[in-house]
Amino acid sequence: MDVTTPILKCAKLCVGYGDVSVMKDISFTLERGKILAIVGPSGCGKSTLMRVLGGLDEPMSGSCELLGVDLSQADSRAREATLRQSGFLFQGSALFSSLTLRENIEMPMREFLKISSSQIRQLAEYKLACVGLSDAIDKLPSEISGGMAKRAGIARAMALDPEILFLDEPSAGLDPLTSERLDDLILKVRESFNTSIVLVSHEVPSILHTADYCVYLDSDTLTMGAYAPPKDFLDPKSHAKAHSFFSRVVTPK
Amino acid sequence: MSEKSARQASISTENQTGGLTIIKIGGSWRIDQPLPSLNFKGDQVKIVSDGLEDFDSALPSWIHHNFKNVRELDLSELPKRLQSLVRLAEKNTQWKSEDEKPNLLENFGVWGIESYSSWGRAMDHIGQTSTGLFRTLIGRSKVNWSDFTLQLQTAGVDALPIVALLGFLTGLIMAYVGLIQLRQVGATVYVANLVALAMTREMGALMTGIIACGRTSTSFASQLGSMNVSQESDALRALGINPVEYLAVPRILAVTLMVPLLSLFATFVGIFGGMIVACAGDLSIDQYLNQAIKAITFKSFLVGFIKSFFFAFIAAWAGCYRGYVAQRSALGVGDAATSAAVLGITLIVIADAIFAVIFNLYNF
Repeated sequence: MDVTTPILKCAKLCVGYGDVSVMKDISFTLERGKILAIVGPSGCGKSTLMRVLGGLDEPMSGSCELLGVDLSQADSRAREATLRQSGFLFQGSALFSSLTLRENIEMPMREFLKISSSQIRQLAEYKLACVGLSDAIDKLPSEISGGMAKRAGIARAMALDPEILFLDEPSAGLDPLTSERLDDLILKVRESFNTSIVLVSHEVPSILHTADYCVYLDSDTLTMGAYAPPKDFLDPKSHAKAHSFFSRVVTPK
Repeated sequence: MSEKSARQASISTENQTGGLTIIKIGGSWRIDQPLPSLNFKGDQVKIVSDGLEDFDSALPSWIHHNFKNVRELDLSELPKRLQSLVRLAEKNTQWKSEDEKPNLLENFGVWGIESYSSWGRAMDHIGQTSTGLFRTLIGRSKVNWSDFTLQLQTAGVDALPIVALLGFLTGLIMAYVGLIQLRQVGATVYVANLVALAMTREMGALMTGIIACGRTSTSFASQLGSMNVSQESDALRALGINPVEYLAVPRILAVTLMVPLLSLFATFVGIFGGMIVACAGDLSIDQYLNQAIKAITFKSFLVGFIKSFFFAFIAAWAGCYRGYVAQRSALGVGDAATSAAVLGITLIVIADAIFAVIFNLYNF
């Protein structure tokens, strides 16, 4: 892929379930190495949009180019090749429960890389070390905490050195300190691997800390309300609902 | 992953005075290509670029693997992004470190404690189930009747075809084997006694119990195990409802009611199966039926019924227990289903052996 090609480009995208459209008129472009946050009220279709952006679901209409390839138009080989260059972290981490963390990371490598077992092992150890899980390498997913499972999920998503990572609510259910460390990890991954990242999140401090751009989905109009750097939404003159979302601060009673 | 490069990854080492080793890396380092191996002993290393073209995580993983225990590692002459990638994998103190691996003795201790506690959990579950059944019988506990009727359907009525098939084939096989042996002594008429007695006293109950383990226990274990995964059992507990009483009691009641009936059904179908073989051989239908009716006594029926009642309880309890203690993962649910069938069948065979001794002792 040409380095000047946007990593993600959507035009008039409409997403939904079956015949029901949940969000339409989504248009934006994301450059390489940038972090995009998808925000909006609960149930507005953030995860659905991310699944479409990541090529897991088909859009209802419009186009979405991932790494320069329109996945809804591409043949199965091009589609699979493109999907291999993206990594996904699901809300529940979706680690394979019968495999240890190391085996979870090695699995996509064994599937797609024609290299020796020792080299695969070395790569898996490195990826787990990157997310601070060197000591839990031989544990099963059921033996680790939620925060560790998220990090292992990120390591698995990074297994094939993807160009883009999709993270569905990475800090959901984590305490603020663990969440902050996870944010730092996301930034380190971006800095070190130059990976573009798309994340769905509800947590304003986390979005402000990590994201370069933010898509705000408006659940009233069922359209993309705004697309801007998240700090812009702190300005009262910005998109009213997005501003209201971002300026919500919990004050003690 | 990006496109293939021209030159393969390469290394060369140079030992300097003072114990410093300089490692020169060059070429293209990609995760989809073989990497050079390195036999290195030393504690002062400097890695420098010697025609390094491009790299992905293959290179930092190689450096991490080979030099993670080196005392002094100098990467200052490498590209900044590579330094950053190597640093990312360095022992990160902000994440809590895990405990060290237990040794053999500790593992043995853990196994002992777990075995002891699994017996404890089983006894606890039996206790809770018995209490729940008792409370239900004296009307102090509400039964989830919708679950109960659903289980009557799934564990009972839906099992009729498989019970019929296996019961029929069991009777048929026994009659076939019996006929061959009894023909040698000219006593083929007794094949009816053999089939009728074996089906009523033994095989009807045993076969139905084993079918209940294969069908119902595994189903219960999967259902309750999945409820553990989705924290539905915790939700019941949080609502002040005993999950054993709410989930296990209606299931055990339904199975304990249906399996003896299925066993009776299997007995008759088995006798019918035997009749097909016997009548295809040396006996007429009248001869077979008369002989079978003579052979079966009320006592034989009672023995089969008592056994099937206990086998039903064992099969249902095994499923509910294994589901109740299932680990909260897909693997845990699968294990629960497997172990429910194994536990159920093992306990049924053990119980059958105990019944055989008891009934023999009391000449029943």
